[in-house]
Parts: sequence; C-alpha cells; structure tokens
Amino acid sequence: MERREHVRNLALLAAAAVVLGLLPYGLSVYLRSFVLFTMMYVVLALAWNIISGFTGYTSFGHVAFYGIGAYACAILVTDYGWHWVPTLGVAAAVSGLVAVAVGYPVLRLKGPYFAIAMLGTAEGTRVIATVWDSLTHGGLGISLPSAETSFQTYYAMLVLMVLTIVVAYGVGHSRFGIRLNAIREDEGAAEALGINATAYKLTAFTLSAVFPGVAGGIQAYKVLYIDPPSVFFVQITIAMALMSMLGGKGTVIGPIVGAVLLYTTQELTWVNFPTAHLIAYGLFIVVVARFMPRGLMGFAIDRGWVRKGMVH
Amino acid sequence: MSRAPGEVALDVRDLRKAFGGVHAVDGCSFAVPRGKISGLIGPNGSGKTTTFNLLTGVATPDSGAILYRGENLAGLKPYQIFRKGITRTFQITRIFREMTVLENMLSVTSLGVPDRVARERADHLIGFVNLTHLRGEYGGRLSYGQQKLLEFARALMTDPDLILLDEPAAGVNRTLLQHLLEQIHQLQEQGKTIVIVEHDMNVIMNHCERIFVMDYGVKIAEGPPADIKDDERVIEAYFGRRR
Repeated sequence: MERREHVRNLALLAAAAVVLGLLPYGLSVYLRSFVLFTMMYVVLALAWNIISGFTGYTSFGHVAFYGIGAYACAILVTDYGWHWVPTLGVAAAVSGLVAVAVGYPVLRLKGPYFAIAMLGTAEGTRVIATVWDSLTHGGLGISLPSAETSFQTYYAMLVLMVLTIVVAYGVGHSRFGIRLNAIREDEGAAEALGINATAYKLTAFTLSAVFPGVAGGIQAYKVLYIDPPSVFFVQITIAMALMSMLGGKGTVIGPIVGAVLLYTTQELTWVNFPTAHLIAYGLFIVVVARFMPRGLMGFAIDRGWVRKGMVH
Repeated sequence: MSRAPGEVALDVRDLRKAFGGVHAVDGCSFAVPRGKISGLIGPNGSGKTTTFNLLTGVATPDSGAILYRGENLAGLKPYQIFRKGITRTFQITRIFREMTVLENMLSVTSLGVPDRVARERADHLIGFVNLTHLRGEYGGRLSYGQQKLLEFARALMTDPDLILLDEPAAGVNRTLLQHLLEQIHQLQEQGKTIVIVEHDMNVIMNHCERIFVMDYGVKIAEGPPADIKDDERVIEAYFGRRR
C-alpha cells in the first residue's frame, strides 16, 4: 500500500515538472525569474531541512555553501573559460568537501552552539571571499560574460529542484531518515541503540550542503554578477530556516510549501508596499509562529488531515 | 566460587569510575550468569546506573575490564557495544517522542537489514507488548507505562543476547508490570541473559535467580534471593547498623 503512495507522489512530481517545463514560454521575463527564484528557495529550504529538520541541527550558516557554489561557477566561467554547466558539478563537489571539513568538528556542538558556529562559518567564508583577491577578485566581485537567455538557468533550476525533492523524499521516507530523526529526538539514546551518530550527521550535513552549492552556481550565472555581500547574505540562511519552519520542518512537503508561500508573499508585499513590505512579512511570520508553532504540516497533522510519521 | 567460562555472559572485573571526588563505582566485580535473570540492587546512589552506563559505553570506565565473549568492552562507544549484542533501557524512558511507535522500532535496525524484514520484526514486537493499536501514534503521546513497553520492545529489535533493564517497574501499573515480567521470562526461556536494576523488591526477589548488591560503588553481596534477604551486610546497607 505504501508503494502505491510513493508511485502516486512521484507521478505528481513528474506532472508538476512537466507544467513547470512548459511554463516559461507563456511568461514574461519578470515572471520567469520569479518562478526560477521560487524553485531556488524550494531547493534551499529542502536542503536545509535535511540537517536541521530531519536531524535537528539548526544551521544558521547554510548560505556559506550557496556562496561557495556561486563563486565556483563564477571563477571557472570568468577566469578559466569553462562552459557554465560543468561548473555546477564543481560547485557541488566543493561545497560537499567544505561541508565534510567544517562538519567534522562543528557537528560535535549541539543546539545554539552549533547554530552560532555555523553563523561564524558563513561569516568566515564571506571574509575569505573578500580578502582572497587573487582567486575571488575580492570585494569588487565578478562579472560573468553574458550569454544567458534566462531559459537555460530556468531549466537548470527546474532539474535541480526535481532532484532535490527526489533526494529529500527518499531520505525522509527511508530508514536512514528515521535514524536521522532518532538523532534529533535523543542523540544519546540513538547511540545506545547502535546508531553511529557522527557518521549519520556528517552524511546528512554534506547532503544538505551540496544542493545549495549547485543552486548558488546557477544563481551566479542567472544574475551574472556576484560579490561577497550578495552571495554570503545572512538573510538567505534565515529564509531557508523560516520557509522550513513555516511549512513544517522535518517533513518533505513542509519546506516546499513554505518556500513557495513565503517567497510569493515576500514578492507581493515588496511589489505592493515597497516601504512597508518588511512589516507585512514580519507580521505574517508572527501569526504563523503564534498559531502554528510546528508549521502548516504540524497544524495539519494535529487535526488528523495528514498521518503522523514518515513511514506507515 | 568459580564457574566454567560458558556459564558467564558478562564478566566485570574491578570496574572503577569517579566523577570528581565521588567514586561512583569503586572496584566493582561480578559475573553475570548466562541465560538467567539477574538483579542488581542497592540503596540510592550506590552506583547501579553508573555501572549500567559503563557496561553500555554511555560512560567510560577509569579502569577495570568488562569481558564479553572474550573481548574487553571497556572504552568502546555505545553503538559499538550495542552491535555486539548488548542492549538496554533507561531509568527514565528515552523513547523518541516526535516519532511514531513504528518509527521508534525501525530506527534501531541497521540499514543492512532489508526493509521488509525490519518491518515484520517491528510489527511482531509491537504486538508482543500490546501496542499494535498505537502503531502510528507519536511516542510522546503514549502513557508512561506504554512508553516503558515501547522502550522494552525497541531494545529487542536486533535480537540481542544480553538485555540490561534499568528500573523497568518504576511508574508502571501492576497489570502492565505483570505483562512486562511475563515477557522478560519468555526472553529468558529463549536463552537471553537479563540484568535488572530495580528498587521494587518483589520484582527482584520473585523473578531473579541471582542478585548482586552494591553499596558505595562496590559489590557487597551476591547470591540467590533467599540468601540475600537475610544477609547482614545487605540489611545494614539498606537500613543501617543494628543497635
């Protein structure tokens, strides 16, 4: 019975991908960009959710991987003449390697200590990108040679989003995911029950870093100019966290719904209330936090609309 | 008294652990008989739970040896000890609260085991402790007694050989306790070795074949229930010296 559910969900995803694949032809350049960035935030929120939602290690520095990916793409395209598509593989590899190196020591910390160490990591990468002139062009930033049609990056982001959803879904509904949840609930008990928490946490952390890395790469080629403050922008991390929490962290649908809702709200309020948009945005968050502390999915689960648990 | 090696499941030798100046376990030695239910008792603060923590790797011994199947477990990590076939429950239950009963069970099985096998075993054990009707409920929504049962069932997921139960009776009503004790006896009949830390003397005296008594971090007495009941040192440890 569960297999049928998975098939149904994959079919839904495939249908959504087809619709999104046809969509850009009917859209203005502005709306095409809007959909692209919405998809990007779906990727970011879902990836953040793997370490912070499934595993319970709330990261306030995930923008580091996004920025690293953006720089990998920009440097290889501008200084080494690469085609932009293969640079995304490098973006994935570099952000994954950095995640292993950072995660090994930092994942020993818990709760707020981990969150702050990640905040420091993100600031550190921003500073490195600013001062390492010979590699990153420093504070001047990098302008990428323009060959972008806005369709290429759209489809790249669509493929990345589908891939991220499939991976997050696979992790969430597997025994690997359940073991990550066990670490979130009680790491000591999880270890006493045979779970090598260090290895599981590092795997989850690396997985959660790779997708933002690629998203950063695509974004660099989309915007065609990057500098340290724009790609290591702390608000991007906050967005990942808020979107996951709004939708319901620790679920798969939650971060997707949260990303779509929050990014749309942000865009609408920004368009309609250019001066007051942050207030509207803030109010929205306050209302959700007050009435749905476990996010929309938690709200739905409490009312019996959605079954509890990831496996049944 | 010496035993043939086959009879001993776990051989603890001169185990020591100090927290600052407090010698929680201070040179404790005992041999757990294989295939039997043993009890570990002692007044509050005598070092029982610390001993459990040392045996399961939750705390690392300062010195001493824990011999299991010819191997010293002292200093191994909890998950390594678990994988050798030793499992435990906790004094205060540590079930995974925001995970369903089924997920609590499945989290224990290693990824090498096929999903179908893990699920069959999980469902079998959920039935074994009468929690089938709560299979899809969050662990945190269960009553305390039910959480104890869940933790007990969870500890059996990998078919361990040695089961350490830290106060299984605490906070469990009589009916549920009777059920739990029946399950423990069933496990023993299957050849498992069980060690129980417990304050409920009825449980200890009526269900354990061998009892170890600890006080101030050392074993002060050992024997079958009948002997322990009348042992001067035990009475003194619990009630003080007779005038």
